[in-house]
Amino acid sequence: MNKKRITPLEATNSVKKSIVKRRSKDNRLKLYGRIAIGLAVCFLLFLFYSIFTKGFPGFFQYYVTLDINFDRERIDPKGDLSDNSLFDGEASKIVNESLFSIIEPKGRKAKKQAKKIVSSGKDVRIAKMVKNDPSLFGTITKVKFALDDDIDSFLRGYIKRETPESERRVSDKVIGFVDKLNQDGRITYEFSDYILKGSASGNPEMAGIKGAFIGSMLTLSVCLLISFPLGVATAVYLEEIAKKNRITEFIEVNINNLAAVPSVVFGIMGLAIFISIFGMPRSIPLVGGMVLALMTLPTIIISSRAAIRAVPPSVRDAAYGIGASKLQVIFHHVIPLAMPGMLTGTIIGMAQALGETAPLLMIGMVAFIVDIPNSVMDPGTVLPVQIFMWADFAERMFIQKTSAAIIVLLGFLISMNALAVYLRKKLERRW
Amino acid sequence: MFNFYLLVGIIFISFIFFIIGYNEAKNIKKINNIKLHSLSHYYGIFVLLASLLPSLGMYFIFTIGDDLLFASLIQNYVPIEVVKSEDYNFTIILAQIKNSVEGLIFGIPDQWVTDAAEVWKSWVYQSQIITSISCVFTAIISGFFGYKKINHKFRSRNAVENIVMSILAVSSVIAILTTVAIIFSVVFESIRFFALIPYDEFLFGTVWNPQFEGAERAGSGQEGLSQYGAIPLFAGTFLISIIALCVSVPIGLFSAIYLSEYATSKERAFFKPLLEILAGIPTVVYGFFAALTVAPFLRSSGSVLGLDVASESALAAGLVMGIMIIPFISSLSDDVINAVPQSLRDAGYGLGSTKNETVIKIVLPAALPGVVASIILAVSRAVGETMIVVMAAGLAANLTANPLEAVTTVTSQIVTILVGDQEFESAKTLSAFALALTLIIITLGMNFYALHIVKKYREQYE
Amino acid sequence: MVNIKDDFKDLDLTVGDVFSKDARLKARNVNVFYGINKAINNVTIDIGNKEVISFIGPSGCGKSTFLRCFNRMNDTIDSCRIEGKITLEDENIYDDKIDVVPLRARIGMVFQKPNPFPKSIYDNVAYGPRIHGLSENKEHLDNIVEESLKRAGLWEEVNDRLLSPGTGLSGGQQQRLCIARAIAVSPEVILMDEPCSALDPIATAKIEELIHELGNEYSIVIVTHSMQQAARVSKRTAYFHLGKLIEVGKTKEIFTRPRHNQTEAYISGKIG
Repeated sequence: MNKKRITPLEATNSVKKSIVKRRSKDNRLKLYGRIAIGLAVCFLLFLFYSIFTKGFPGFFQYYVTLDINFDRERIDPKGDLSDNSLFDGEASKIVNESLFSIIEPKGRKAKKQAKKIVSSGKDVRIAKMVKNDPSLFGTITKVKFALDDDIDSFLRGYIKRETPESERRVSDKVIGFVDKLNQDGRITYEFSDYILKGSASGNPEMAGIKGAFIGSMLTLSVCLLISFPLGVATAVYLEEIAKKNRITEFIEVNINNLAAVPSVVFGIMGLAIFISIFGMPRSIPLVGGMVLALMTLPTIIISSRAAIRAVPPSVRDAAYGIGASKLQVIFHHVIPLAMPGMLTGTIIGMAQALGETAPLLMIGMVAFIVDIPNSVMDPGTVLPVQIFMWADFAERMFIQKTSAAIIVLLGFLISMNALAVYLRKKLERRW
Repeated sequence: MFNFYLLVGIIFISFIFFIIGYNEAKNIKKINNIKLHSLSHYYGIFVLLASLLPSLGMYFIFTIGDDLLFASLIQNYVPIEVVKSEDYNFTIILAQIKNSVEGLIFGIPDQWVTDAAEVWKSWVYQSQIITSISCVFTAIISGFFGYKKINHKFRSRNAVENIVMSILAVSSVIAILTTVAIIFSVVFESIRFFALIPYDEFLFGTVWNPQFEGAERAGSGQEGLSQYGAIPLFAGTFLISIIALCVSVPIGLFSAIYLSEYATSKERAFFKPLLEILAGIPTVVYGFFAALTVAPFLRSSGSVLGLDVASESALAAGLVMGIMIIPFISSLSDDVINAVPQSLRDAGYGLGSTKNETVIKIVLPAALPGVVASIILAVSRAVGETMIVVMAAGLAANLTANPLEAVTTVTSQIVTILVGDQEFESAKTLSAFALALTLIIITLGMNFYALHIVKKYREQYE
Repeated sequence: MVNIKDDFKDLDLTVGDVFSKDARLKARNVNVFYGINKAINNVTIDIGNKEVISFIGPSGCGKSTFLRCFNRMNDTIDSCRIEGKITLEDENIYDDKIDVVPLRARIGMVFQKPNPFPKSIYDNVAYGPRIHGLSENKEHLDNIVEESLKRAGLWEEVNDRLLSPGTGLSGGQQQRLCIARAIAVSPEVILMDEPCSALDPIATAKIEELIHELGNEYSIVIVTHSMQQAARVSKRTAYFHLGKLIEVGKTKEIFTRPRHNQTEAYISGKIG
C-alpha cells in the first residue's frame, strides 16, 4: 500500500474541484435533449406550415363572371336536354362570344388566345346548369367560369409580368385581356367548386378529389369489413381458445413478422395472387381493400389481443362460476369489455390504411380515372394515390390542389386518431 | 349485381330456416312439456348455419372456379394461326377477350376475338343459372337436414359453439396464409427470374438497366441491352438509409433521453404524442414535401455554396425519411430507457452522480440492447419505405456515394417496374419480384434480430 | 393495537435525548409531504460522529422516507416536498446553494435490494472514484478498489474475478459489493435502508459484522425491521410511528426500559 487511504476531507475537496465541470456537462446533455426535441417539433411545424400555406389557396381559385345568353336553340338544338343534344350545342361558342364582347380581341390569333382564358369546362358547366334548371333558357344570366390554370397562376403572381414574354406561359396580349376583365370587376377569387366536387382531370383548374375520396371510402370499407372480423376472431382464438403449442406460437411469429413486412410487398402479393392468379380486375377498390386488410390485420390483432388480455380473469371466473359455456363467456363478457381497445386498434389500423399508397400503386389504382366509382368493382383511385399522381404533374396549379388534397387527407387522419384517443380515454376501464 | 342478388337470396333462405328451427324448438318444448338442452334460439342458429355455410361454400367455389374453367376452355376458340405465330401470349389474348366481353373495345378487334367473347358471354349466362340453382338447392337441402336433427336430445348450443370455434380457428390461419401467399408469390417469380439471369449477376453486377425484351434475353449468352446488376440499388438504399439515420438517431436518442430523464411529467405528456404525429403522417405527404420543398431548397442553397445538387437527390429523400423515422427511435428508446430499473438510478444518485453521469454511464449501457433494437427497426422501416424515394430520390441507377446525386432504391425500382401494364414473362417484370425477395429477406432478418435482442433484454430485468 | 389517544398526551414531543454532543447531521423540525399527505411530522434528531444509529418502527412509519432526506434522494420524486432544516456540519443541505452531487458523495447510501450496476465488480467499485475524480492514476484506483473491497470483507471472495459481472454474485455478496461501492468514495456518513431485508441469515450476519466494524470510522444510519438487528449493530436507536419520532435513546435502554408506552407496545410485539 504505497498510498494513504483518501480521507473524507480530501474526497470532498476533490469533488468540489470537479463539480463545476460536471455540472456544465450535465447541462449540456439537457440542452442537447431540448435541441433534439426542438428540432423534431420544428420539422413537424415546418411540414405543416409548408403544406398549409400551399394548400389553403388550393381550396380557392379565380373565376370570371360572364353574361350568358341562354339561347335554347343554340345550347340544346334537339330540345330534349339529352347529353347528345347538349353535346351538339354551341355552349362554348356562346361563352366565347360573351367573353369577346368584353375584351374585344382583334384577329384570328388573338381570338384563339382569348378563348383559352376561360377553362375548357365551360360547356359542361352550362350543360349542368340547364339540366338542373331549364327555366334559365331564354334569359341572360351572369355565370361564373373558372379561369384557365395559367391565368390563375398569373393572377396569383407565380407567373410574373416582368418575365420576358418568350419565357412565360401567358402572352402579353392575354395579360392585356385579363387586365381588361379585372378592370371590369369580373374576376373574382373564391372558394373553388371543383376541389371538393370535381373528379380527376388533366386540367388543373377543374381537378377535384371527389372521385379519389369516394374511392378511398370504398377501399376503406372493404378493408374494414375484412380486417375487423378477421382480426378480432384471430385475437379471440389465440387469447381465449387456442392452447399454447407450436402451432399457435408459429401463428404469433407470423403475425409479428407480417407487421414488419414493407407495405410495397403486400402490393406485390396482391398483384401476383389476386390479379394474376384469381384473375380479378385491376384498379378496383375491392382488391385494394383486400390488400390493405391483410396489411392492417397485424395491427388489429395485436391491439385486440392486448385488450383481451386486459380483461381480468375474475370476470371470466365469475361467468364460468354461474355455468356459462366458454363461448358465452367470450361473447357475453370478454368481447364487450375488450371492445374499446379493439376499436381503438382498428381505427388506428384504418388510419394507416387510409394513408397508404405504395401497395395500391402495385395493383393499378394509379390509373387515370375520371369517372366516380359507384361500387367496389368499378375502377377507382384513392386520396393518397391521387396526391401522388398530382404531385407528378407539371402545371403550377396542381401544387396547390395537391396540398389541398393533403389537407383533406390529414384532416381525416387527425380526426380518426383523435377519435381513437377519445375512445381510449372515455371507455378505458381501470381494473 | 347478379352476385349481390344471389347472396341476398341465400341469406334470406337461411333466415327462414332460422325461424323454422326456432319455432320447432318451441313446439317440442310445448308439446312434450320438457326442458330442452339449449335455449330455443340456439336451435334456430344451428339450422341457419347448416343452411348458410354449405351454400356459401358452393357459391365461392363456383364464382372462383368458373373464370378459371372458361379461361382454359376458351383456348379452343383461338385460331391455330394465332397460336402458332411467334408473339403468341395467352395472357394478352385472354385480356383482349375479357375486355371485349365487358364492352371495352379498342380499335377494330379481329373477328375471332368477337366470336370468342360471344361464346364467353353465353358461358357466363349459363354459369349464373347453374350457380344460382345449385346454391339455392344446397341451402334448402342442407337446411332441411339441419332441421331434421332437431329433437329433444339434440344439444344445439354445443353444435353451434363447435361451428363458431372452428370459424375462429380458421380465421387465425389467415395470418399464416398471407405469409405463405407472400412467400409463394415472390419466391416463385424470383426462381423464374434467376432462370433467366444468373443470381451472381443480380447480386454482384454493378449496372442496372432493365428493358423489355420478352422472355428470352436478346442474344442470350452475349451482352444484352438489359443488365440486372442490383448493386447500385442496394447502394442507393444504403446511402439513403445512412442519411436518414444521421438525422434520426441523434434527434431520436437525445429526445428519448430528455423525455425519460430530464423532462417533467407535463413536458413528457405534451411532447411524446407530438413526436408520434410524425409517424402518423402518410408517406406520400413526406414524399411531396421532399420533392417540392426540401429538394428545391437544397438545390438553391447548394448553388449558393457552389455545389451542384441534383433536383432529385439522395440527400433530400434521406433527410425527409430521417424525420419520418424519428418517432420510431425516440418512442422505442424511451420505452427501454424507462424499463431500466429505478434502483440502478438510485444507486448512481446515491453515490453522487450527476444526471449526465447516471444516464451516460449507467442507464444507457444497461438499455443499449433495446436502443440498438430500436435503431435496427428504424433501419428496416427506412429500407422498406417506398413513396419518399419514388417521389424524391429519382430513378437513375447511379452507383455513387455522393448524397447530392440522384440514386435509386430497391423499393422505387419495384414500383417503377410494376406500375402500369407489364408483360408477365419478361425478365424486367420478374426482376421486381427478385428485388422484393431481397427486400423481404433483409427487413425480416432485421426485424427478427431486433425482436430477439429486445426479448433477451426484457428477460434480463424480469 | 393500543389506543394511542388514551395512552399518550404529548404526541408532538419525542421522548429521550434527541441531541448529541458531537453531532454530524442535525435534523430540525423536518416535515415531508407527498402531494398533500404528510409522511414525516416534525422530526428533530442529531446523528453523532462515528455513531451507529438504528431507525426502527412498523412498516409505513416513515423511517425510510426520513432516511432518504439526509442525502436528498427524495428529490427524484416529483411530488415530494420537504420543510424544516437538516444540517451537515452547520450547512443546511436543503439550502438553494447546495449542490446535491457533492452532498451525496459525502453521505453515501446502501439500498434495500442489492443494486450493483450491470458492470464488472471492479467497475462497480471504481465508478464513484472515477466520476468524482478521486484517483490520481490507474494504480491508485486499483488501490482504492482493493481497499474498499477489503473493508467490505469481499476481497478474499472476489479478488480472482474482479472483471466478472457484479450481478453474478450471490445476494449477500452483492450487498457487500454495494457497501464497498459506497465506501470507495470516502463518505462521512453511510445511510443504510434495510440492507439485510433481502438476504438470508448467514449473509445478514456478515453484513451486521461489517456494519459493526465500519461504525468505528463512519456515522452510520441504518433503517431496520428487525429489533434484534438494531440491538446487535447500533448504540442508539430511534423509534418512529406514523411519521413521528416517538423515542430516542441508548439501544440498551430502549429495548430494556422503554419510556414511551408506544415504544413498549412495539417492542413487546403489540404493534407491528
